[in-house]
Amino acid sequence: MGIVFTRLFSSMFGNREARILVLGLDNAGKTTILYRLQMGEVVSTIPTIGFNVETVQYNNIKFQVWDLGGQTSIRPYWRCYFPNTQAIIYVVDSSDTDRLVIAKDEFHAILEEEELKGAVVLIYANKQDLPGALDDAAVTEALELHKIKNRQWSIFKTSAIKGEGLFEGLDWLSNTLKSGGG
Amino acid sequence: MPFSTFSLSVAPSNRPPTESCEEREREMSGHDSKYFSTTKKGEIPELKEELNSQYKDKRKDAVKKVIAAMTVGKDVSSLFTDVVNCMQTENLELKKLVYLYLINYAKSQPDLAILAVNTFVKDSQDPNPLIRALAVRTMGCIRVDKITEYLCDPLQRCLKDDDPYVRKTAAICVAKLYDINAELVEDRGFLEALKDLISDNNPMVVANAVAALAEIQENSSRPIFEITSHTLSKLLTALNECTEWGQVFILDALSKYKAADAREAENIVERVTPRLQHANCAVVLSAVKMILQQMELITSTDVVRNLCKKMAPPLVTLLSAEPEIQYVALRNINLIVQRRPTILAHEIKVFFCKYNDPIYVKMEKLEIMIKLASDRNIDQVLLEFKEYATEVDVDFVRKAVRAIGRCAIKLERAAERCISVLLELIKIKVNYVVQEAIIVIKDIFRRYPNTYESIIATLCESLDTLDEPEAKASMIWIIGEYAERIDNADELLESFLESFPEEPAQVQLQLLTATVKLFLKKPTEGPQQMIQVVLNNATVETDNPDLRDRAYIYWRLLSTDPEAAKDVVLAEKPVISDDSNQLDPSLLDELLSNIATLSSVYHKPPEAFVTRVKTTQKTEEDDYPDGVEPGYSESPSHAVDSAASPPATSSSAPHAAARQPVPATPAPVPDLLGDLIGLDNDNNGNGAIVPVDILHEGPPLPVVLPASTGQGLQISAQLVRRDGQIFYSLLFENNSQIPLDGFMIQFNKNTFGVAAAGPLQVPQLLPGTSASTLLPMVLFQNIAPGPPNTLLQVAVKNNQQPVWYFNDKLSLVVFFSEDGRMERSAFLETWKSLPDSNEVSKDFPGIVVNSVEATLDQLAVSNMFFIAKRKHANQDVLYLSAKIPRGIPFLIELTAVVGIPGLKCAIKSPSPEMAPLFFEALENLLKS
Repeated sequence: MGIVFTRLFSSMFGNREARILVLGLDNAGKTTILYRLQMGEVVSTIPTIGFNVETVQYNNIKFQVWDLGGQTSIRPYWRCYFPNTQAIIYVVDSSDTDRLVIAKDEFHAILEEEELKGAVVLIYANKQDLPGALDDAAVTEALELHKIKNRQWSIFKTSAIKGEGLFEGLDWLSNTLKSGGG
Repeated sequence: MPFSTFSLSVAPSNRPPTESCEEREREMSGHDSKYFSTTKKGEIPELKEELNSQYKDKRKDAVKKVIAAMTVGKDVSSLFTDVVNCMQTENLELKKLVYLYLINYAKSQPDLAILAVNTFVKDSQDPNPLIRALAVRTMGCIRVDKITEYLCDPLQRCLKDDDPYVRKTAAICVAKLYDINAELVEDRGFLEALKDLISDNNPMVVANAVAALAEIQENSSRPIFEITSHTLSKLLTALNECTEWGQVFILDALSKYKAADAREAENIVERVTPRLQHANCAVVLSAVKMILQQMELITSTDVVRNLCKKMAPPLVTLLSAEPEIQYVALRNINLIVQRRPTILAHEIKVFFCKYNDPIYVKMEKLEIMIKLASDRNIDQVLLEFKEYATEVDVDFVRKAVRAIGRCAIKLERAAERCISVLLELIKIKVNYVVQEAIIVIKDIFRRYPNTYESIIATLCESLDTLDEPEAKASMIWIIGEYAERIDNADELLESFLESFPEEPAQVQLQLLTATVKLFLKKPTEGPQQMIQVVLNNATVETDNPDLRDRAYIYWRLLSTDPEAAKDVVLAEKPVISDDSNQLDPSLLDELLSNIATLSSVYHKPPEAFVTRVKTTQKTEEDDYPDGVEPGYSESPSHAVDSAASPPATSSSAPHAAARQPVPATPAPVPDLLGDLIGLDNDNNGNGAIVPVDILHEGPPLPVVLPASTGQGLQISAQLVRRDGQIFYSLLFENNSQIPLDGFMIQFNKNTFGVAAAGPLQVPQLLPGTSASTLLPMVLFQNIAPGPPNTLLQVAVKNNQQPVWYFNDKLSLVVFFSEDGRMERSAFLETWKSLPDSNEVSKDFPGIVVNSVEATLDQLAVSNMFFIAKRKHANQDVLYLSAKIPRGIPFLIELTAVVGIPGLKCAIKSPSPEMAPLFFEALENLLKS
């Protein structure tokens, strides 16, 4: 009885890795966010042609974080990573107002994926440090987040360069996953 | 019970069939569906699950299973992404396995291969040099066009890596990349980087850079790798320090170096001679090659003699290796002794055959023994040959006998000794020995006329045993040639004549000649009858044209002037020398420069058995005339109109009246108009166009049929678009000596079904004149099945020459119609309505957009219409539209940074299979 209980306990908080995808258009800051979360510092990045995968330990949860390239040419292959995903971090460049429409389209396309039906969605309105960046409310509007149904989601204002907002988002994510949202 | 359910649905019932179907389905899902969903998964899904396991060990095991399946030939390419996802790991073993998988399957999954790029980039910056080298090596093995350019940056870094192992791996990678994309290698300056590596302080890096450059040089027609006096000293220094295979690379490169003078050559050779003592045969042979090449320049006989002395022992040592290596060495030595026999002149004993040598080694040894045989050693050699002639292997025995004859021909002073050995062998009466001896004795007679004829009597004794054509032919030749000395020559020949029709051609020819000789020497009754029979047999009865022609010549000679016949047939023959197995000097030169390669083993120049694709520098071709002007919008009905009219390649007049599609063409061409009026006059209303003198302005048309191929007729041609109509612009130039007329043209099936709308109208072309014409074309006549391609096969004929076939290229540009402009909203809507799978993109690293306006103008001329533009960071993103016949639109997105090379083009179209054609056209358009 005791063994069973431990196993149950550890499976919830210890060994289990939550599989998380970091998605978003190219140049949104996905790779910078990944390494900010993992190492706590800003690394210089080049466009990701392909993917990065790192393990991030936070709040007793091990996140297996997949950062996928955002180039048009790579977006079709996102779907290869959809199965068994507990959460999606969707990163938006809040200052690239021109492409918010495309960001929105891609976002809603992802939400309609059958394989991601149960995934929790965390949106990072990134690059808040840049002048002219839209705030979370404006990004919510632009991405038409109010249309999301049957899914837990949250949006955070972040700046990967300054390290603001990232862990607040991760807090929300870990709490949501712990409470069985994933 | 499953059985009852099935019988129920099969049983006849009055329910309507649809209902029964539904019923069955429902029932099956209720009871029988379990039979369709097996609990046992296939191997692939099982592996897939394990590859995605959260446990590292399980993933590693899964990858091992995948590699095992791959090795035994199972197709596991469908697991591509799952395996690639295991690529980012700390575990070197796992990483290696994934790399192995990638090398094998990247080609079959070229699109997905892009997912591996980032990991390569990361690994090429790993702190562990082994991983960096592994990454760069694997990258070179992935021959997928789409990802090569992403790999240039990592490669550039690795060429300058701190670790020599990484640098040398990167050097080899450059050669691999050159094979995939030569232009990219040159554009990125990798060749210069390689040349820098020759001065590297690590000898292994130098050797690999040399190897890479040599390989690139072999695939390029331009001089890329030339050793200078500076690099020479670097190479010679590295030679002493690098591994054996590195030494081979360097020696091979050095053998191509042309030393400035004898002194430099001597110096180089001096530095290289220690390599002759190397244990590796490849190093020894490469060193020999290099020394032989430089020796050509050395004038001092002392030095040359010394070098020859030094080269002998290593070559002899090669013959104590395994038989296979002996064979390679012997084939090379065969070449060496032809050029410099002195090297091994005193070593003939090592070429004596051992009883247990494999036959291929024995044969080669014999060949070299003949080459080394001299007056000094001939007795010894003959003793050997005689011994070999009594062995059991027939081929070897024959070759030994022949070798004796060849020595007789080669060494005059030893000829007599050789012949006596041959006679001894004939006395053994072994059939094939006798036959072979007769064949060589015939040659000896030719070499030493009037010297050894006394032995003919001995030869004649073995006449009955001859059964091989060559031996028979040789004997018959001897009888004919010496008919006057053989008393019963006529009887001997007659015995052969009985079977004349059954004899092989070789024997028949000799019989014919011998009989004629006999008749000329002894014009008595017997021979006269014989010659009648032979001539009759050889003219009337035979099918062999050679035999018949020779017989007729004799016949005419004999019937016109028997004295002249005597002069011709019995003329003194020139003395022969033994040049069998002697190579032509220029071929020998080439083979000597290829010592220690397959070429020197085959004794064939490399071109004879290796097909190499030489990457020629692309010439800046101006494929499309600038003179094409944007025309009026053309109603889509035109395409249908012309498509509906039958192909008008024949000029038969009766049909002409019934078919007049051209006057209906909207917006007729001004040039055309005059001709159309003219057409009525010559009553030829096919809507074709007569030659117009100055039709073509701008760059000259590409030559499609060069004069060298067309027996003096040169044709230049290109598809062009003028005012909404497609024409085939042709230029005919008659460089032959005769006037040409009656030109006709025909097009083979092609992707767009392009065909001529009327007959080709070219006037008679006098020698030295030319004519150009614009041939109107129609579409969708003879559409070739299969995926779209740009091939346009054309046949042109005239009354004087054979039909000429040539290939031209269909460029999508000429098909872009004038009504291809789209409204912004329509563009957006179409873009959204098309599924993502219809989007294809391509990068053009070589294209520079210097000005957005100029580029747009350039594209507008070719009916690619600008829709919208936006800036993204420093990039300009342009949206354009174009349309090809049958209303197929292309939605185009171009992304570029002004002034910096690199243009990305993404297109969306209902016909994405046309994308390669589109990209090709776009590249041609913007390259100029």
